[in-house]
Amino acid sequence: MSSSAARKSLEAARPIGHPGPPDLAAMSKDEIEERRATVAKLQDLSDRAQDGDEEAALNIRKILDGSPDLAWLFIKGPAKIAESALINEMTKDGDLASKEFLTHQLESMRVEVAGENPSALQRLLAERVVATWLEVQLFEALYAVGMKSGTFKQDDHCQKRLDRAHRRHLSAIRTLAQIRKLGPAVQINIAEKQINALG
Amino acid sequence: MSPWERRERGGLYYTRSRKEGGKVVREYVGGSILGELAARMDAEERRRRDEEKARRREERERLDAFAAPVEELCEAAEVIARAALIASGYRRHNRGEWRKRREQQRS
Repeated sequence: MSSSAARKSLEAARPIGHPGPPDLAAMSKDEIEERRATVAKLQDLSDRAQDGDEEAALNIRKILDGSPDLAWLFIKGPAKIAESALINEMTKDGDLASKEFLTHQLESMRVEVAGENPSALQRLLAERVVATWLEVQLFEALYAVGMKSGTFKQDDHCQKRLDRAHRRHLSAIRTLAQIRKLGPAVQINIAEKQINALG
Repeated sequence: MSPWERRERGGLYYTRSRKEGGKVVREYVGGSILGELAARMDAEERRRRDEEKARRREERERLDAFAAPVEELCEAAEVIARAALIASGYRRHNRGEWRKRREQQRS
């Protein structure tokens, strides 16, 4: 699938009624902090809900209903920042052809990993798989260079960094597989906005 | 310990210390001009090593910084996925598989 077709396919998969991706350029520092605070609150509520707190589960629903943009904020925020920084590092020295090739490869990968009619949550998890894959590629390449030059031979920091990236990638795949397995029953926006365009 | 050792006759003698088999071995280099030259060479070598160490630390920190947005993305995605599962009526069974709660299944 070509990059533009891939992009169209992902655009078409956006749920009806979804406000669309937020404009990151217009995102202020306060909004970024708010996004992080929402995730921290969800983390706390999830821990409590897991321990049987019914009210916490209700509050999670309220937060997710009230923040239909939450997944998009992370897709367009840290996911894009990470991808862009990693691509620049892997293709430096102004090699525009390699940059373009890698961008296209990632776009295709994103479509393949996200699957058909992905929900916002599945898209976020697919972005995570792509970003962690890219991170593994970079750190593997750096490790190989370090081994060859002997610079990092006795420095296990490089190996540990690569191990952490591997763990993040495996965890990303595991969570996406889990959400896929449970099917469309799991949606971020629980309100009427959750109807899928083709679903 | 200073690498310059005062001799009984009053002159200064430049020494180098290194570890050999877990023990500190002191090498006597020389006094006056020879000692001065060796001291300068050692200082230059130390400066070069410190610079290399700082350069490697900077590079390490620069590369570590690439992981920061990926970590934020991973953490957020994990929390949001978990929250969505709970909101959809799932509970994690013994820290493993996610299962639908019984009352949710009935409804």
